[in-house]
Amino acid sequence: MLRAIILGASAFATTATATAQEINFIACPVYRDTNNGRKSGCWLTSDPASGTRYDVTAAPTKADWNKAILVEGFAAPDEGNPCGATVMQPVRVSILELPCTRHMLPAEGYEGRRFSLPTRNVRPLYEDRKRPEKPYAKGRFTIPFDFDKTFITYQISDYYLDATINYALDIQPALVEITGHAQTTPRTISGETITEPAEIAQERADVVRRALIMRGVPEKNIRITAARPGAAPYVMEPFDGLKSPLERRVDIRITPQ
Amino acid sequence: MIKTVTLPLAAALLAIAVAAPQAAQEDPWWDPDEGRTFPAQLEYANANGTLRLLLEDGPMETEGHPFFTSKGPDGRACVTCHQPADAMSLSIESIQRQWERRGAKDPLFAASDGSNCPSLPQGERASHSLLLDHGLIRIARPWPGKDYEGKPLKPDFTIEVVRDPSTCNLDKRYGLNSDEPHISVFRRPRPVANFKYIEAMGFAYDPKAGMPLTVDPETGKPVSGNLMADGRVLSLTAQMRDAASAHLGFLDELDAKDMERILDFERRIYVAQQRDAKGGDVDAAGALGGPMTLMTSRAGLLGSDGGMPVWAEFEAWEKMSDAEKAKLPKDVLEFRESVARGARAFREKTFLISDTSGINTPIGFGNPVRNSCVFCHNMSHMGMDVAPGQVDLGTTNMPFADPAPHLPLFRITCTGKPHPHYGRTILTHDPGYALTTGRCSDVGRITLQTMRGLSARAPYFSNGSAKDLRAVVDYYDRRYTIGYTEQEKTDLVNLMRAL
Repeated sequence: MLRAIILGASAFATTATATAQEINFIACPVYRDTNNGRKSGCWLTSDPASGTRYDVTAAPTKADWNKAILVEGFAAPDEGNPCGATVMQPVRVSILELPCTRHMLPAEGYEGRRFSLPTRNVRPLYEDRKRPEKPYAKGRFTIPFDFDKTFITYQISDYYLDATINYALDIQPALVEITGHAQTTPRTISGETITEPAEIAQERADVVRRALIMRGVPEKNIRITAARPGAAPYVMEPFDGLKSPLERRVDIRITPQ
Repeated sequence: MIKTVTLPLAAALLAIAVAAPQAAQEDPWWDPDEGRTFPAQLEYANANGTLRLLLEDGPMETEGHPFFTSKGPDGRACVTCHQPADAMSLSIESIQRQWERRGAKDPLFAASDGSNCPSLPQGERASHSLLLDHGLIRIARPWPGKDYEGKPLKPDFTIEVVRDPSTCNLDKRYGLNSDEPHISVFRRPRPVANFKYIEAMGFAYDPKAGMPLTVDPETGKPVSGNLMADGRVLSLTAQMRDAASAHLGFLDELDAKDMERILDFERRIYVAQQRDAKGGDVDAAGALGGPMTLMTSRAGLLGSDGGMPVWAEFEAWEKMSDAEKAKLPKDVLEFRESVARGARAFREKTFLISDTSGINTPIGFGNPVRNSCVFCHNMSHMGMDVAPGQVDLGTTNMPFADPAPHLPLFRITCTGKPHPHYGRTILTHDPGYALTTGRCSDVGRITLQTMRGLSARAPYFSNGSAKDLRAVVDYYDRRYTIGYTEQEKTDLVNLMRAL
């Protein structure tokens, strides 16, 4: 019997409710320097449609004060007010190639957040790792991407990539099937129509394929397969309940042989 | 607290004890072919105290050893530019002393890279000014070069020479427009020691590249990515071949046995400051400074995740009891307390890091991001980056670089995407990692250095732009508007001189 390995969906609780409205917008970010230890600063940005200022610091990718960001997330008013804006959580930020005027606010009494290591972090090589037990199960993994990017982002994409590679290495020989996806349906957000080029799906699959080979997965055991239109991600957990980023991903199926 | 020790400390101490410590009374300069014995422990005085080198499983005869033996036509050996008294690097003091002794006849001043350009009159001091006045060796990179697999690079930028006091980039034979186009940049020799740390791989990924660690095509195995300022080689054997042809003028490659012997030496040698002129032994009163801790500790650990916090070697000096303090002379106590404060400032004094390729982009930390020195200098015991450490501090790029009228200046024009922080056009003294990758976004990224034996090897930064340790601190203070107090600057300088 083949069992499916899906990264623990319960490991990362989200604050989103089933009825919450996902908020998407494009705007320039503002940095608030709360000066409360390392990585304590806040990223704020205002939805141009409502004028509401949001705290998007919880996004795995942090903003660049020179560039506009695509924000996708849920408002989480119960998360307090550490930065002087409504907290969004879960939230994703993608940096766009649209220039912004950089702006920094002082702390103004806000403490930001003391840094703590995110749950999704790649563990060092010098730490023991638990290996899967036989009989090996078929593995399904999903790696999320920022909008219009093929870069494996720190403390989210790399976490899922590492899980994928470790499993592929642990259960060799195994067939690894990679499927890249892109967000090719145009969306109009904050007056900007955005879409990803279709070829970025292949580029994302190539990045994952290359990473697998670099870590030692035999090239001959890796296949890139075409995406089925409308197919759901193998694993939903990397998206924390958000719908907008679902098409920006790579799905990987690992079949022991 | 040291969590992991690879060599029993007692055994290592015994090995050192039975080998008579050599307080080098001999000439501190090691000429090639001298045939000295390299002892298990060797010490050299410097302006801040005493440097100690430990040779694990030493001593070693250097007669005929390829690291110490001249082979090429210039009479140079590896040791020429990697001097034990200079923490296996090369101090400006040593360079100037050799010029006083022998002038251009010393192999150090070989035309190929010990002069501003081989086509200049080699007998004149001015032809060696970059080495003599700034401690810089000429590094000639073919342009465009090749990638790690030997395939030609397809750079996404062009290089123009804006000015070139060295004359070499505009030289008909050696310049960018010659039959064999090369770009000449000028860099400090890196220390050949403590390689257990430099070669260590703490994680399987390079977050700056968003990919697993680079795989060495020669071995099929991943590498740390922390060799050479521009990361142009992946292994010590590749570095040897590079050095043999570029710096030593060997007509033939080193043979396999030579490389094995050099590798053996390089992986056994540890170096650090052992004694401070003001503060005494850096491993006194419970502190763990000096090279013995390096030799006996596990390498590649992240100071914030499983390893000893960076520079916690001096924690004991922070926690001295009043009774212990009372036993110490005032100068010694003040120095030790200053070092301990410096270590804490290094870890805990945060500042805004902005517009720095390798940190703010492309990883996703944010631009800006608040952090401290250990954000990048994060490896326990060594203060280098556990991940491949190519970062653009701005030491070679305008507008951040200090004025350096003695260095060449290049205009980089990005032909693809603009640089994430500088835009389409960049003025630089040294494109650094971009010469290896061909990527505009890598212009000015330089591999972080180890932080040991600093007292023995001024000047600092890859282009020698900081003449002393205070200048290093001042540069960071300017670059990132840190606002260090005078006390903090003094503490950080004292910390670094004790490393």
